[in-house]
Amino acid sequence: MTDTARQENPVADAAAIDDQPAIRLINLTKKFGEVTVVDHLNLDIRRGEFFSLLGPSGCGKTTTLRMIAGFSDATEGTIVLGGEDVTSVQPHKRNVNTVFQSYALFEHLDVEGNVGFGLRRKGLDKSEIKRRVNEMLELVDLAGRASAKPRELSGGQKQRVALARALVNRPEVLLLDEPLAALDLKLRHRMQVELKEIQREVGITFVFVTHDQDEALTMSDRIAIMNNGLIEQSGTPEDVYERPRTKFAAGFIGTSNLMTGMHSEAVLTLESGLSIPLPGHPELTQGAAVSIAIRPEKIWMAEFDPGMVRIPGTVSATVYHGATTQYLVDVAPGVRLTVLEQNLARSRHDDRWTDGDTVELGWKPEHVVVIG
Amino acid sequence: MAATTIATEAKTTHSTSRRRRSVEGKPFFAVAFTALFFVLLYVPIVVVILFSFNSKKSLSVFGGFSNRWYVQFFNDEGLQSSLRASLMIASIAMVGALLLGTMLALALERVSSRPARAVGTVSLVPLVTPEIVTGVAALLFFTGLGLKLSLVTVIIAEITFSISYVAVIVRGRLSSMSGEVEEAARDLGCTSWQALRFVTLPTIMPALIAAGLLVFALVFDDFVLAFFTTGVDPQPLSVRIYSEIRLTISPAINAVGTCMLAVSVLLVALSLVIPRLFGRKDSSLDLISGG
Repeated sequence: MTDTARQENPVADAAAIDDQPAIRLINLTKKFGEVTVVDHLNLDIRRGEFFSLLGPSGCGKTTTLRMIAGFSDATEGTIVLGGEDVTSVQPHKRNVNTVFQSYALFEHLDVEGNVGFGLRRKGLDKSEIKRRVNEMLELVDLAGRASAKPRELSGGQKQRVALARALVNRPEVLLLDEPLAALDLKLRHRMQVELKEIQREVGITFVFVTHDQDEALTMSDRIAIMNNGLIEQSGTPEDVYERPRTKFAAGFIGTSNLMTGMHSEAVLTLESGLSIPLPGHPELTQGAAVSIAIRPEKIWMAEFDPGMVRIPGTVSATVYHGATTQYLVDVAPGVRLTVLEQNLARSRHDDRWTDGDTVELGWKPEHVVVIG
Repeated sequence: MAATTIATEAKTTHSTSRRRRSVEGKPFFAVAFTALFFVLLYVPIVVVILFSFNSKKSLSVFGGFSNRWYVQFFNDEGLQSSLRASLMIASIAMVGALLLGTMLALALERVSSRPARAVGTVSLVPLVTPEIVTGVAALLFFTGLGLKLSLVTVIIAEITFSISYVAVIVRGRLSSMSGEVEEAARDLGCTSWQALRFVTLPTIMPALIAAGLLVFALVFDDFVLAFFTTGVDPQPLSVRIYSEIRLTISPAINAVGTCMLAVSVLLVALSLVIPRLFGRKDSSLDLISGG
């Protein structure tokens, strides 16, 4: 970042004051005809972080990524990359590289040719290209396959070639568009770990688009949950999981028990007439409609602590998951809560609860998340 | 006899009886029919090849092997200039059709609007139009424009006719190439042109080679279109042979025919083999038949 560039670019100037983000999106909007796919998005992605755009299909996450890469023009708004406004810069001049969902390998070139493609375009000399390609193939564990053609590779290997081909250019930001979606479950889990390790090793900012909440939670430093072209919430995995701020965020990441009712004097009265104590929220106005969310694993069914909120219920179904057992408990007509118990002592579980049992549920007041 | 066979087979399992009938019962007819088909198809060609080596002038009595008709063919200035004309027509038509057909294919694969789909369908029409209709239409078009019929008009007509073949073959290859591949090229530092030059064209190269060879073979021995659109001198080889036959029938025609056959077979064989050399299992013919 030179001084002249700073003077010419007020956005960069403002951002450069303290740690400048790798990417800053300002009011970024994309419309296809009448349909708004990305709606005035504002987002800072920090240098060196593993950032996930998480959302259901059609939420605008891939379109956002494509606008950052330059394949799609923004209808409105600004994209700032490393302090430079790149909104109208051609893709080949942006210092970002992409790992595509379909890998998009060049079939006429071998692995080495694919990985070295970007460096050859930059006009680096041959020995330098060879050195960096080999180094990168080493990193992605493909050193022995330099002369293989893409069609001879397995899905996981193609994925690594696509990753190496992008990373070898040492971009400011690496964009990944659901890169693991085509892999089978086991391989996907392995690649999640490897991808995270590689990111730590190279220290490049990763922007990772996924619809898989587990993937986002396990890999990301920060997550932005997108829905209908808007960011519902962004924060660390713990933030978005433990403290969801919208109903969508609470429902999309993991499962949540959502209840909506009228609040008065620290009691939430549901439509069904059920009253749930809601202590510790003096900020709530009396008589306002309030939604609360409780994670299934935060609800206890025995060995309650003092100070817990406790309500009675009837077990309507039990589902055994191996490490855990899921109970569906009716607490009022039409109000069914999901409870997740760890199977710490499987033998004890046998004489725990079955369908039709009357049980008591309890949770700590601080585990209740109040949403709007 | 057949009754006893069926009676014994009835004891075996159903599937075995089926398989045996297909080996013993139907084949006689199937084999005979296929054999007849190939005899009718190839015997005339074999006769042409055989008589091109005939030492006698007769077209019905074989008098031993000689290469006199080939010598005569290669010394006949008229036939030679026609051969050169045909080679030139085929070469230029191949290049022109490849250029235009590939551009058409690229456009049709990129744009997915309703008009584009309509153009895509219309571009297939020449494949199913009877060639004589295309020929008459071309003739009317050229004379209507006041163009003097010559090798130029033949070339224009042949290019027009061949564009569809190129477009179909190249589209087949393009459609199996994800649009993300070109984006990847641009992502890695290519301009749109460089993406075409360094990624798209190399990726579809087998299809381009196959399409080019096929067009060359089709145009080289095409008669109908050439007949309607050619001028007087020099005539394409196929037209020349036709006019010679009407005057005198010289066995040298057999030699010419054999040479043309050899060239065509070689080219079609290459167009089938080359995509396989690039490691692709589907050849150009699979693409034409929609496989």
